[in-house]
Amino acid sequence: MSEKKKYRSKKGAERASLVAIYTILTIISVIWLVPFLLLIVVSFRGEPVGVTADYVFPKQWSFNNYVKLFTETQFLRWYGNTLLVSVVVTVVQTIIILATSYALSRLRFKLRKPLMNLMLILGMFPGFLSMTAVYFVLKEINLTQNLFGLILVYSASSAMQYYICKGFFDTIPKSLDEAARIDGASRHTVFVKIILPLAKPIIIYTVLSAFIAPWGEYMFSSFIMLGDPDKFTVAVGMKMWLDNSSLMSQGYFSVFCAAAVIVSIPITALFIWLQRYYVEGITGGSVKG
Amino acid sequence: MADVSLKHVYKVYPNGTKAVNDFNMEIKDKEFIVFVGPSGCGKSTTLRMIAGLEDISAGELKIGDLIVNDMEPKDRDIAMVFQNYALYPHMTVYENIAFGLRLRKLPKEEIHNKVVEAADILGITEYLDKKPKEMSGGQRQRVALGRAIVREPKVMLLDEPLSNLDAKLRTQMRAEISKLHAKLQTTFIYVTHDQVEAMTMGTRIVVMKSGFVQQIDTPKNLYNYPANKFVAGFIGTPQMNFFEGTLLKTGDSVTVKFDNSEAEITVPYSMLYKARPAYLDGKKKVYIGLRAEDVSLAEEDIKSSKSVIKIKVSHKEELGSETLIYGDINMDSDGYGEGPTRIIIKDSGEHELNAGDIIDAALKVERIHLFDKETEESVLPRVPEYNYIDCEIKDGKLKFFGAELELPNAVKCADLKGELLIPTDAISFDGDLKAEIVSCENIGGVNLLALELNGNRLYAVSPECIEGKTVNIGIDFKKITVISDGQAKISPMPELNEFACKFVKQKTKDTVEVNGKTKKKKVVHFGFTVGDTFFEASDETSQKIFAALGIRDAFTTALKMECGAYHLSVADHGIAAEAKELLDYGTEKFLKCMIGDSAVYVKCDEEYNGSVCLLPDFEEVGIVETERDIKIV
Repeated sequence: MSEKKKYRSKKGAERASLVAIYTILTIISVIWLVPFLLLIVVSFRGEPVGVTADYVFPKQWSFNNYVKLFTETQFLRWYGNTLLVSVVVTVVQTIIILATSYALSRLRFKLRKPLMNLMLILGMFPGFLSMTAVYFVLKEINLTQNLFGLILVYSASSAMQYYICKGFFDTIPKSLDEAARIDGASRHTVFVKIILPLAKPIIIYTVLSAFIAPWGEYMFSSFIMLGDPDKFTVAVGMKMWLDNSSLMSQGYFSVFCAAAVIVSIPITALFIWLQRYYVEGITGGSVKG
Repeated sequence: MADVSLKHVYKVYPNGTKAVNDFNMEIKDKEFIVFVGPSGCGKSTTLRMIAGLEDISAGELKIGDLIVNDMEPKDRDIAMVFQNYALYPHMTVYENIAFGLRLRKLPKEEIHNKVVEAADILGITEYLDKKPKEMSGGQRQRVALGRAIVREPKVMLLDEPLSNLDAKLRTQMRAEISKLHAKLQTTFIYVTHDQVEAMTMGTRIVVMKSGFVQQIDTPKNLYNYPANKFVAGFIGTPQMNFFEGTLLKTGDSVTVKFDNSEAEITVPYSMLYKARPAYLDGKKKVYIGLRAEDVSLAEEDIKSSKSVIKIKVSHKEELGSETLIYGDINMDSDGYGEGPTRIIIKDSGEHELNAGDIIDAALKVERIHLFDKETEESVLPRVPEYNYIDCEIKDGKLKFFGAELELPNAVKCADLKGELLIPTDAISFDGDLKAEIVSCENIGGVNLLALELNGNRLYAVSPECIEGKTVNIGIDFKKITVISDGQAKISPMPELNEFACKFVKQKTKDTVEVNGKTKKKKVVHFGFTVGDTFFEASDETSQKIFAALGIRDAFTTALKMECGAYHLSVADHGIAAEAKELLDYGTEKFLKCMIGDSAVYVKCDEEYNGSVCLLPDFEEVGIVETERDIKIV
């Protein structure tokens, strides 16, 4: 009898802790989602009100802000700039990171350890420390106000982000490389035919993180593109709107929100599409199990 | 379908750890060789060096007729099976097996036929479309085997392929791999830590420990004639019983006395002919080894045997078909711990025994193994290195076994009584002594001749078995040792002369003919200097030096040259040396010279004084790194 009671109380405790956990999670997700919902709602506001509206739901629902965004502003151009830069950077960065990680994970050379440490230490300094220097270098080679310059700056230090990817490669058994090399594969074949197919989850991760960073980056692009609105990225352009108070008071805040929604679409879509690879355990069955 | 030859192969890690030490072996075509030893003994490293997955620090590895030291794994024509299978998880079984063939760009049809055939041999045809993760361990290992056999390699390397399987599957796969070997007729090299696998599969077994080869022999010989205590203990289950004890010779029998026990048995001296007499003084400690199955509790054995000892039973393990009885030969001990008096007996299980019972057990004395307590080497090697004989030297004459020989000038010595050591290969068959031939045995390619000289046993190694009853024998005096009062009064001439040398680079201006014009051009030569003399090294030799030492250290590392007396000659140019004396060994004469501080011996019939020049025969010269003692060339 007493045992049964004990058992029940254990179950009760479990239930209580579950309730607590879910409550906390709900609160956190509400806090997290509210600004985003607010953004969507405001983007459909029809009446021109500034940033300081004291109500949430629009009095007049309309698509006007979106129409305005694509017809009256340079947003589409900025969007294109950003997309171009992000896609190129993603490709370049992914290739560099994968190659660096493979080399650091599989090859043994004299300066391997020092190189890894050096990259780790350099990575600890925030990137903007070098901003002024980078700007002057770009200016010297005539790459300011130039999308290629931006791509160069974003991809330049890609190799330093090898850590997670190398960690993943380290978990792929070395005997696979060795078996393939005995089977007649060169290092390059091993990388392309054995390692890459097995590294799908980490490639997805690398692609996502490589895409997100330039997509939302503001600091470098505002510096490098200063003075040429044609070359702005979305972040720079939209910040310019925010800074212009007269524009804001004319109801541009709703347009700004509409732009923000459009900007978040590709990333959201990418995540939803690639999410399943995140969890897919692909190495299962390669070694004993 | 190839021989594999390893000569002086070393694996040394940058921090100085020697994983493999001077590995020498000739593996013949179609052999099934098993490397066995505890973990960390260097067996896998050796295999990986053969595969090309590890660099060879020094030495020479040949597959077929090719030296493959620096060859990529894919060019060595080998296949390997890994402990964790190493199947490509993203490919189907079919693709896994076909991968190597596709990389070799074989026509599609041929690949298909080969894959299907291999799958058929291994019974995995129905799994060809599955991914590795859908298969069990045994099936995966079959796929790994399939991937290896489709390539029809010259050598199959297997690195603990069965360690991840359960006991039943392991036994089954063991048989299948043996069958596969018979079918494929290829050289197999198999690494395992399991001595049962080694014993059941190998045609020859290499037992290794801490980077050193302990013994290379057939399974039966390893079991019956272990070369040292480690091999004796490693091969066979349950482990061989080891006791400490002493041997005392009295007349024609030898008393074996066990330490910490009353136990004592006698064995006929004829069994210990090969043992050094120093072991038979009743003082020198030896390990006495006896396998569990060589102790009998059967009544008829105890009645008929003269070697019965008392054992206190501690516990037993019933194994069904047999029973292992644990006991102690020390009546005050309990036999639970693994001590020097514990004994394990393999019994049929008919005897009713309780803990604490004191019983009689008969030992099969002819199956006894004896090992030196310090070196752990066998006291009774199959091919003894030396004959140990009591001798007397008087008036320049050596007397032993009732024979008398005039000592040549080189080994003249004052009168003494002592022990004479004649290496078994120092007995020639052209002397004046008459010996009777008792037997001639071929042991591992060596002919061991048992001789009787005036009723005393003598062993000799001969190139071929000698027919007949008697033979004339002589002694090669440059190989003998005479020990008296613990000191060597006569020492053998060293087989190899050693002297310091350096690897150097020399630049010369040579006249080279280019397009019909003679031009002066700078040429770099690599070579060795001994003293001030420079010898140019062959390209192959230089490459070996660079490979072993690295380009930077090659010129600073201390090296020594090794060269036999027959491969040095007195010439008008060469290494500067100081001639000391001409040593007369009876049939041969050698000139003793000094190169710096090292004494060297040169085959020479003429007397020289003062400075001479010595010229080595470079075909026969060895180069050794002094500090780590690695033979490079």
